[in-house]
Amino acid sequence: MPPTQLARALPRTSRTASSRGAEGFRQRCCYHSSQYSQPPPFAPAESAILSAAMSHVPNVGFTIDALKLGARDANYLDASTNLFPRGVFDLVNYHLVTQRLALKDTVQFPPEGENGKKLGIGSKIRTLALARLRANEPVIDKWQEALAIMAQPSFIPPSLAELARLADEIWYLAGDKSVDGSWYTKRASFSAIYSSTEVFMTQDKSKDFRETEQFLDARLADSMKLGSTFGALSAWTDYTAHSAVNVLRSKGVRI
Amino acid sequence: MVPFLSPVNQIDPSLPQSIMNAHATRSLLRRQLPTGGKQISRNAVGNQYRCFSCSVKKSQQPQSTPPPPPPKSSTGTTHFGFETIEEALKEQKVAGVFSSVASSYDTMNDLMSLGIHRLWKDHFIRNLNPGRNPLTSNTAQEKGWNILDIAGGTGDIAFGMLDHASTINNDAHTKVTVADINPQMLAEGRKRALATPYARSDRLRFVEANAEKLDMIPDNSIDLYTVAFGIRNFTHKDVALREAYRVLKPGGVFACLEFSKVRNPVFDAIYKRWSFSAIPLIGQLVAGDRDSYQYLVESIERFPSQTEFRDMIKDAGFMIPGQGWEDLTDGIAAIHKGVKPA
Repeated sequence: MPPTQLARALPRTSRTASSRGAEGFRQRCCYHSSQYSQPPPFAPAESAILSAAMSHVPNVGFTIDALKLGARDANYLDASTNLFPRGVFDLVNYHLVTQRLALKDTVQFPPEGENGKKLGIGSKIRTLALARLRANEPVIDKWQEALAIMAQPSFIPPSLAELARLADEIWYLAGDKSVDGSWYTKRASFSAIYSSTEVFMTQDKSKDFRETEQFLDARLADSMKLGSTFGALSAWTDYTAHSAVNVLRSKGVRI
Repeated sequence: MVPFLSPVNQIDPSLPQSIMNAHATRSLLRRQLPTGGKQISRNAVGNQYRCFSCSVKKSQQPQSTPPPPPPKSSTGTTHFGFETIEEALKEQKVAGVFSSVASSYDTMNDLMSLGIHRLWKDHFIRNLNPGRNPLTSNTAQEKGWNILDIAGGTGDIAFGMLDHASTINNDAHTKVTVADINPQMLAEGRKRALATPYARSDRLRFVEANAEKLDMIPDNSIDLYTVAFGIRNFTHKDVALREAYRVLKPGGVFACLEFSKVRNPVFDAIYKRWSFSAIPLIGQLVAGDRDSYQYLVESIERFPSQTEFRDMIKDAGFMIPGQGWEDLTDGIAAIHKGVKPA
């Protein structure tokens, strides 16, 4: 190839390669960063129908009728509910996803060290969990239906995955930066506490859900107590094992 | 509903010898198989004889040498099974295939799919959930759905839709228009309609129409467009998809039940073996026509895969729900859907 041709060909190829690289990177985008806004989780038409359908849930519950009414409100047809292959579960999923993503905007913590009092991670977790539970308030009468839908065998895996994402989001927003084994135990224990509180809330008739709040506090205290018991137990085991080894060594055993 | 198959009514004068042989074989068959006799006498002879072993060989060919790609010519060609033919001929040939099967259609479908096609169609209808329930819909300005069933000649999807709307959704207004290019298949559908409650009501209508040119259907008038085991036989699938887009109301649904590609390679090998050896044989024994059933399995092989067809639907302008399709029986058939944006 003559050198001039090569020179002309080169910049073009490098440019296309780099632009394609950037595009591919953006598409894959499997990391999370608070610096970049994430793409909306639902397509515009879907979110128009689903958000309109959510306004009908207090009356007709999490049913296909809510989806049909929502579709009609959004200038679609009854038939357009075929846009949701998982049917009513897609409506429940919409509520879960939008409320999870709304947390970072609805809950704002005061900047640290403002009036000398620092908000601990425990109380941040409590605030966030309560905020998420309060988001179920408008549909709390129908929430048992949603729980029943989520408990259907084919919808259990996506529901658990969504619970895990919620736990992760809340620990992230609370400012937890742990990178050890407690990363898992923290999320697992929070998932257990949150889901049991959610079930409790569907039965709660007290004013302003005060009993739910008490229930959540009791469960969080339990987990703290459990955590400290486990910590004490492991310290005791560690101490006893070391002592035993040292006693054996003093008796001449080669360990 | 387009049948799975039927004979090719074409006599090739260049092959007198093979015709004589085939004739002799068929008349022997006619004597042995009284059930298939009527079919055989009507269909004389296929234009090409394929032995059992050739068809098995053909089924294995695509991996090493894919079926010849249609050469680009000025008149345009398309495929008819594994053959490449003039575009203008495909319509005639498909018409020939479907003209005489109507009567043995159900028996053949049951035998070839071991009865599973009934489950697929039931699931297809239940999943679309046609009909507007008057108890839950408060606005009364619009009653029922307007359904267009393309290639629905014998009417089983249409009757299923009407039954579902009436009994599940208590909707006595949903209408179905059955369109088919083939008058014989429509006649069979009309005959069957007499056994249903819809024969003399205005809820069921039969129209002879080509899916690529639905002039009698106005723009934006259809809630649900269905085509079950039919789109495979269309000469221009993209034109038919654009025509579907035109007739659908904004928010209307395009739904297609069609044979597709099996994902699991082990199951695929068993399925290919069944379709390329057993199905033409069943066709020969029961319907007295091998070539048409050979066309059936070849046209299934030639139909685009799930992702390709999903992209064709997207290209016609539809929104795709979820991943765009649902596999039935591990991908032997698949339901594709598209929603026209409002």
